[in-house]
Amino acid sequence: MISLAGRDIMHAWGKFVFTGVGLGLLIGITLSMAGIYRGMVDDAKALLDNSGADLWVVQQDTLGPYAEPSSIYDDVWRGVRGMPGVARTANVTYLTMQVRQGGRDVRTMVTGITAGEPGTPGWPPYLVAGRQMTRGHYEAVADIASGFKLGDHLQIRRNHYTVVGLTRRMVSSGGDPMIFIPLKDAQEAQFLKDNDAIRQQRLRTAANPAFNRPQVPGLLDAVIASQSINPYVNAVLVQVDSNHSAEEVAESIRRWKRLTVYTRDQMEEILVGKLIATSARQIFMFLVILSVVSAAIVAFIIYTLTLGKIREIAVLKLIGTRNRTIVALIMQQSIALGLIGFVVGKITATLLMAPIFPKYVLLEPLDSVMAFVAVVVICILASIIAIRAALKIDPAEAIGG
Amino acid sequence: MKRFPVKMRTVAMLVVILPLLALFVYVALRSGPLAPVPVTVTTIENRSISPALFGIGTIEARYTYQIGPTFAGRVKHLKVQVGDVVRAGQVLGEMDPVDLDERIRAQDAAFKRAEAQLSEAQARQAYAQTQSQRYDALLAVRSISEEIVATKKHELMVARASLNAAREESVRIRSEREALVAQRQNLFMVAPVDGLVVLRNAEPGTTLVAGQVVVELIDPKSLWVNTRFDQIHARGLAADLSAHIVLRSRVGEAETGRVLRIEPLADAVTEETLVKVVFDQLPVPLPPIGELAEVTVALPALPAGPVLPNAAIQHLDGKLGVWQIKNGDLHFTPVTLGTADLAGQVQVREGLKVGDQVVVYSATALAPRSRIDIVKQIPGVTR
Amino acid sequence: MAGKGIHIEGLKKRYGSGDTAVDALIGVDMQVAPGEVVGLVGPSGSGKSTLLKCLGAVIEPTAGRMTLGDLVIYDGGWKVKDLRALRRDKIGFIFQAPYLIPFLDVTDNVALLPMLAGKPNAESRKLAMELLQALDVEPRAKAMPSQLSGGEQQRVAIARGLVNRPPVILADEPTAPLDSERALAVIRILNDMARKFETAIIVVTHDEKIMPTFKRIYHIRDGVTYEEAGEGREFE
Repeated sequence: MISLAGRDIMHAWGKFVFTGVGLGLLIGITLSMAGIYRGMVDDAKALLDNSGADLWVVQQDTLGPYAEPSSIYDDVWRGVRGMPGVARTANVTYLTMQVRQGGRDVRTMVTGITAGEPGTPGWPPYLVAGRQMTRGHYEAVADIASGFKLGDHLQIRRNHYTVVGLTRRMVSSGGDPMIFIPLKDAQEAQFLKDNDAIRQQRLRTAANPAFNRPQVPGLLDAVIASQSINPYVNAVLVQVDSNHSAEEVAESIRRWKRLTVYTRDQMEEILVGKLIATSARQIFMFLVILSVVSAAIVAFIIYTLTLGKIREIAVLKLIGTRNRTIVALIMQQSIALGLIGFVVGKITATLLMAPIFPKYVLLEPLDSVMAFVAVVVICILASIIAIRAALKIDPAEAIGG
Repeated sequence: MKRFPVKMRTVAMLVVILPLLALFVYVALRSGPLAPVPVTVTTIENRSISPALFGIGTIEARYTYQIGPTFAGRVKHLKVQVGDVVRAGQVLGEMDPVDLDERIRAQDAAFKRAEAQLSEAQARQAYAQTQSQRYDALLAVRSISEEIVATKKHELMVARASLNAAREESVRIRSEREALVAQRQNLFMVAPVDGLVVLRNAEPGTTLVAGQVVVELIDPKSLWVNTRFDQIHARGLAADLSAHIVLRSRVGEAETGRVLRIEPLADAVTEETLVKVVFDQLPVPLPPIGELAEVTVALPALPAGPVLPNAAIQHLDGKLGVWQIKNGDLHFTPVTLGTADLAGQVQVREGLKVGDQVVVYSATALAPRSRIDIVKQIPGVTR
Repeated sequence: MAGKGIHIEGLKKRYGSGDTAVDALIGVDMQVAPGEVVGLVGPSGSGKSTLLKCLGAVIEPTAGRMTLGDLVIYDGGWKVKDLRALRRDKIGFIFQAPYLIPFLDVTDNVALLPMLAGKPNAESRKLAMELLQALDVEPRAKAMPSQLSGGEQQRVAIARGLVNRPPVILADEPTAPLDSERALAVIRILNDMARKFETAIIVVTHDEKIMPTFKRIYHIRDGVTYEEAGEGREFE
């Protein structure tokens, strides 16, 4: 027996491939959508992975530092460092802001990392160019997605930073590229107001008779000085030594230091479960809609193809073709269309769409496999209408009259 | 000829389908998580490195003189402006003396009166003396009674006491006047040294409390940089090390200097060590006090040893190490690191030897089972 | 005659029931011997198409008896379970238009029937080639139907009708779109084939050009058949 579906496809393969390419673009968009969702989850995980922390110590009763603002004193780490099971601690600050370079500015997450050596929690775990910071001030390591190059001078608030290293996939949970700068500079950047605001604050303080007392020379200076320091950080990153479980250490910090502590799992739950939950649902809805649209298109195409073959099917039936053979003819065509679409979709999603999307698109092989199964199932379902139509064709129609 | 269209179609179909399939296979294997990770490698070199330390500080004057009145009062006049160079002993301004001059004049008058009283007392005493001597002589010839002589002696003693009192009164009044004059002198604000006026806090007519600073002088030759080094980056700091100083207003020009001393007291709050760095030669024009300066202190060069770029250092399972390439396979080799220089080169104390190949850059985080693809430059990096 | 060819007695077909019932066939009696080509002629609405559909086993008659060779296929009800297999193996169809499957080449159009009957591809194609050879379209065996002329297409259609060696062939206006020369050629082929493969052929037609070629003609009028001798003119 020859494959009727195959012969039919070969007969009109140009039309078939074009239709498949069209469907493929749609499937490509669907795959990209799934990729965007995976990318968002991966962004969140990358943020956690890159921090190199086992525990996040944040302000009491906050979901910080990523999902909510959190600020704790920058000497809290000393107490945390002394807890049993803590191998390393590091202060860290996160501030999402525009960073200027030349004439343009880029939305980034400026991360203040504590002085030390590579491998300290919070430091970029790997680079793609340049070197890690060696100076305690005015150096920056930027993510490549920011578009900055080695040697670029960035302006963050009023200070200029030299880009000495480049990273990749160091992004905030919102996908903004990260810029690493020394903690002290970051604390200043986070708190420091613009010069006008500082001046106005000084004037306001000077106008307050409680602070500006002639009998107490120097009081005003002391007050102003105390207004312009920032002894806060957003979180303390903790690495736990191998003899203790993270949850155990977290519990003892919670109990004795009265701070909120998150483990890696809890942090992931916050980022993936809370921060990107709405976006994820939105993308999921898009996925569903696109799947339905794809199914409708496949159904429509196959139905049209079948209607165009009514006479042939009637003849086939008249000369004794079994229904099974006719169902197979239609279903095979539908699946073949789906396969062409899937191949084209996978290629376009990977080579065309993923690189042009501004956000990270992660195409997981397992997703592709699932998409493949879904495409086949959708094609089978979509062919049902056409099959019903074909089975209804009366072989008597082939006989004139 | 008859079969040609079929063949044509087959050929055309292969032309479309085969590249599509090839592309698909390429896409499935070469992109996404299955793709090998591009990495760049370097060879451990035997090099000497010159470590350096980097801190920031502000320009400060070593000697600052704050000049103000010792009494509450009002400024009468202030002759110097900020930026004036003054000499030691130069009068900078004066406080309003209020009634001080009048009081000195009153003391002058009182003194004169005291002098007059003293003259009178002297006269009385001289007369009493003469009288006493005469009555003594008369008593000797027994022309008068002893009682009268005793009276005269008493008068003489009274006159002497009065003279003493008048003399002391005169001294008192003179001293009081001198005190007032000294006070008057104290109302002048005088430069204690040669210096530069950096602050003028009050204008004539301003009322000040005792001790309030009116004029601040610095010794311009004593400028130094009060530099803060993070304690983590302070190893090896010592007096007399040479330093490069870059002023914020003069980026690109480095002044030379040296470490004068390391403060015995560190800043416990900011976890910084304070270091005073002096200029070898004062920059001209003088930088303003309080200007930010970046200070790089060069430490002596270290003997040659295995050296690694710091970008290669990774952290895995609580250990510092590098991804070493042995026979094309990845191994995580824990290392013990020594001193680093500012260019990002780190000495390796243990774990690697010269000639070992290690991964410097990678496009994603590496794991022991990662497939790698050694490239010259990580894709996407532009220079 | 019994035991060979096609035998129809008292065939009736009623569409609908009750007051709206229409009797399309009232009494049809036909018999065609193997190797014989008979004409079936009638005006529109005479029940010609209904008869053809009953003969082709695509609609069910209401009463009567149909025998194909030794096989009783209808006797007040279908006597054969698998009508598709019956159509495939016992009845050949030739239509007014060739109705070739456009996505199969000439060989496979013909070979499809034996393939559907479960014969291996190679054997099926061999059978097809034999017929194509017999019908002089073998040089176009690899061509697609759209590349053939009308006469070639019709010959391929005849080959398809014959390939399973059915005892009977129903030809529905096989010459309608053809000029008289080609029409006569088709009828000659049908005659040749009928003789060669011992097949009974019923040609439904109202084509005057070919009328004189039949030895026997069945006229159908208002659902009733009347037999008539034809001229049976031989071809030169």
